[in-house]
Amino acid sequence: MSFQQKNITVSLVNFTLILGFYLIRVIQMLLGGSFNSTNVFRLWGIVIALAVVVTIFATILTHIVSAIIHAIKTGEEKSTIEDIEDERDRLIDLRGTKVTYFISSIGGFLSMLTFVFGQPPLVMFTLLIFFGVVAQIIGDVLRLYLYRRGF
Amino acid sequence: MGKRRINNNIRKLRFFNDEMTQQELAQKVGVTRQTIIAMEQGKYSPSLELAFRIALAFDIPLDEVFSYDPETETN
Repeated sequence: MSFQQKNITVSLVNFTLILGFYLIRVIQMLLGGSFNSTNVFRLWGIVIALAVVVTIFATILTHIVSAIIHAIKTGEEKSTIEDIEDERDRLIDLRGTKVTYFISSIGGFLSMLTFVFGQPPLVMFTLLIFFGVVAQIIGDVLRLYLYRRGF
Repeated sequence: MGKRRINNNIRKLRFFNDEMTQQELAQKVGVTRQTIIAMEQGKYSPSLELAFRIALAFDIPLDEVFSYDPETETN
């Protein structure tokens, strides 16, 4: 598994966990009757902070752990060429980003439709971040699939 | 209209160049080994720049490495 694949796997796991946490919290709020603007926006902040901070630290950790495992396996101290990003990596990343943006856009549109059909604004904001995280997960799955297939 | 297929002789050329490994070729042309594997399996067509770098690595003209078959279509 290349460095890029490891990074994508880490991102996929992160965002899946974040989505799980988000859905659990939203369901808890709905069942507990605490689905209000204060709680929803606090959850927004938590999800965005988790997405940024956890992804950065997980990527750094992956790099360090990969380097240690590689050094133990091969006895080499220097990083290999596998850590570089070439044109195929960039094209795969571009395809994943395209799908992520497409799903985000559809999600944004659907979220706004709920507002149009008389739902409270909180529903729109809740769905916006849901579709954002789902789009990231689908983009990562596509990237991994393209890596496994070759291109 | 489907995508046209670009064939290559990278595997054969590696063999005739002192059995050069995929890793060695990857390092020479500045890509990952996975990209060389994808090209050899016909799953990835390189950019023109990379194609020239591969031809230079084997020290032969570009058309001896890559060939274009307009009749073959891929999915």
